[in-house]
Amino acid sequence: MNIYRYLNKKQDSSSLAIFRLGFGFLMLYSVIRIWSKGWIESLYLLPSFHFSYLGFEWVKPVDNYTYLIFLVCAISSFFVAIGYKYRYSVILLFLSFTYIELMDKTTYLNHYYLVSLISFLMIFLPANASYSLDSIIRNKSFKLIPKWNIDTLKLMICIVYFYAGIAKINSDWLLEAQPLKIWLTSKYDLPILGNTIFQMDWIHIFFSWSGMFYDLLIAFILLNKNTRPFGFILVVLFHVMTAILFPSIGMFPYIMITCSIIFFEPETHKKILDRTFAIIKNPLNKIKSIKVYNYRNTKVVQTLMIVFFSIQLLFPFRYFLYPGELFWNEQGYRFSWRVMLIEKKGFTEFKVVDSETSESFYVTNDKFLTEFQERQMSFQPDFILEYAHYIGDYYNKNGLNNVQVYAESFVTLNGRLSKRFIDPNVDLMKEKRGFSNKKWITNLEDEIKGF
Amino acid sequence: MKNLYIKILLGILIVVSCSKESDEMINQSISEVDQQISSTDSSNTTSGTTTSGNSSTNTSSGTTSTNTSSQNETFDRGTILSNYSENIIIPRYTIFKSSMDNLKNSIETFKSNPNSDNYDLLQNDWIDAYKKWQYVEMFNISKAEEIMYNLKMNTYPASKERIDNNIDIEQSDLSNPNDWAAQGFPGLDYMMHGIAENKDAVIELYSSNSKYGNYLSTLGNLMSDVTNSVVLDWSSYKDTFNTSIENTATSAFNMMVNDFVYYFEKGLRTNKIGIPAGRFSSLPLPEKIEAYYYSKNGFGNLSKTLVLEARQAATEFFTGSNSEGVKGPSYSSYLDYLETEIGPTVETKLEEAKVRLDNLQDNFITQIDDNNTLMLLAFDALQTIVVNLKTDMLSNFNIAVDYTDADGD
Repeated sequence: MNIYRYLNKKQDSSSLAIFRLGFGFLMLYSVIRIWSKGWIESLYLLPSFHFSYLGFEWVKPVDNYTYLIFLVCAISSFFVAIGYKYRYSVILLFLSFTYIELMDKTTYLNHYYLVSLISFLMIFLPANASYSLDSIIRNKSFKLIPKWNIDTLKLMICIVYFYAGIAKINSDWLLEAQPLKIWLTSKYDLPILGNTIFQMDWIHIFFSWSGMFYDLLIAFILLNKNTRPFGFILVVLFHVMTAILFPSIGMFPYIMITCSIIFFEPETHKKILDRTFAIIKNPLNKIKSIKVYNYRNTKVVQTLMIVFFSIQLLFPFRYFLYPGELFWNEQGYRFSWRVMLIEKKGFTEFKVVDSETSESFYVTNDKFLTEFQERQMSFQPDFILEYAHYIGDYYNKNGLNNVQVYAESFVTLNGRLSKRFIDPNVDLMKEKRGFSNKKWITNLEDEIKGF
Repeated sequence: MKNLYIKILLGILIVVSCSKESDEMINQSISEVDQQISSTDSSNTTSGTTTSGNSSTNTSSGTTSTNTSSQNETFDRGTILSNYSENIIIPRYTIFKSSMDNLKNSIETFKSNPNSDNYDLLQNDWIDAYKKWQYVEMFNISKAEEIMYNLKMNTYPASKERIDNNIDIEQSDLSNPNDWAAQGFPGLDYMMHGIAENKDAVIELYSSNSKYGNYLSTLGNLMSDVTNSVVLDWSSYKDTFNTSIENTATSAFNMMVNDFVYYFEKGLRTNKIGIPAGRFSSLPLPEKIEAYYYSKNGFGNLSKTLVLEARQAATEFFTGSNSEGVKGPSYSSYLDYLETEIGPTVETKLEEAKVRLDNLQDNFITQIDDNNTLMLLAFDALQTIVVNLKTDMLSNFNIAVDYTDADGD
């Protein structure tokens, strides 16, 4: 019974400890960063309207208490890092961070989703088994933990990379080198490279192909002990490059670099930790070391993991259920590790019609949306629909009767000349939000081959 | 071995973590380099201004863009900025300033001697300067942006109540934002064509009550002062402008792109046609046209001329043409370099928009009353250009806006 032997395998707990430290402090830094840039105010407090995820309309910023949510998130990150009241802290971190993410869809980022998933996984992992404040307080630490604990984290990272790689196997990315052609050409201001090689077609192609191979293969390079050091250098170089080229991806490179530390051998983790903790060696040494950490309800947790990863493996392919071009209609685009794949810009205005007097006028978006929200709304169909309903409800309440809302929407995708995006004859007030196919999105009338 | 790897990685991480701060340093060093480069190439562009026909005749043959895209692997965005500043922005400001000087003089002449001849002189200079103004309104950058030049010069419709009150209390400080609609060209429009219903009655008011002349003169002085400060600023700002080509939210290149797109959408499309035609309200609002009182009280019509001039100004800017039609590096030629069809597409649509605008009556008030559909068609012609500018052009330029983590991932 291989599977049982595998499930009973143990591994040194320092691997989880080092991951916990890295992840916790990185999250603490993320929250401080968002706070210090004034984004809590500009993204969550200033807008009068927020784009919600279906079913999570009740998750909204709560005036100045929003700061409190960020504070909870920061403190729980810190507690996770030092391993204090770990289980409670990591649950709080998961809840507060996920709440923040659900407040407004405008700020959706794949790596924020990853953070939510990882913090969810960590709820079920004994990451405070050693090198933690908890173990000092309880005066016991566990030397070994189940090997599958570590493997869940590795699997999560592998899925992210591999799926991001699969998503790059498409004709826009590989044959047209889009959107990298647009993005790299616009980096003309980088020293030395910017206005020289970044302007060259073959470089765009080269970056596209190597990006695809990197994403597809890096997980395997990291998993193999022999290629691992080389792989980790690749990880660092790759993400450092993306950080320089694309400042708007924010924390993504640092999160991925930190996460991939988990791939190293437990002995390496232990060595790093022991050296780092050499300063406070004394209290840690005195702790009674218990050999093996045992779950109280292993079966439940293991079943949960199987369900969790089954969903993770299948969910990104839900776009097969929708007709039309994924990059155009974005039905099933999010939560699928499609990273840096499309350059899209839209221009969308709405016509409001009073169906009784048949008077009509166009709405100026900046009356309701911030510039950032308007930019994101303009090319994403679910945003357009939600906002259309918001406008319609607003004017129904403010003197008009039985309002109809029509969209004048034009979008450019990966350098294609812009074209009409939404059927201008469809009253969006009559279209329900939901997961069913949005027939009112036009066809791209161009085929992007591949995944 | 492992130690070595760890050290290398730590080293790299430190470099990265510093890279945020060093971004600015990098930018600085770029602009220093650029200054050196552009001091060499601005010398040939400046020579281009003096012999402006000459330096660009080879490019003016209409193939500017195709030349640049096929022969070069790179594109110097600084050449767009120096073409813009030296062949369009500064010359256009110079032209406007001289019209503005004339206008100010005729205001003073009319004030001290309000008679029919002086009135005609004043009216002519107002029309002339208002037309020239259309060529500079979009340059909302540096000093102009700082002092809110556009809003002080051309916020319309003019506020009748505000102006009447200001005249009465002899208000000379018009810095309150509520007074933007009580000054500038629309303010003068009201002072010349709105305070009474015909020329004789207007002159009569000026002759009988010095408060009118005083307020008129206040407006002239303010417009002249802000114009002078903007023009003066360009003599020093030019060098900064020409070299500020980085792709950052605050570079002149990016701000100018945003200004141009914003002007085309709001200043041209929305204000001149969209709002009066009722596109943004249940009913048309003819009282919101530019130069309203001039048409309303039957003095003459200017709104159509102004929107045509504005379209011409936007066309010249987009294609990098100076007032003689000589072309230089521009957004259009940059879009050609980027291997897109957007440049020719927009240029064709600009011509189609001209046809739509030409179809309109001189008097927009009666046009809106008689056949607003033509106004809406003109709006649509401008709208389709806005779409190309805001989606296609901005996408291909990949203009950095203020950073929020977003876009792509």
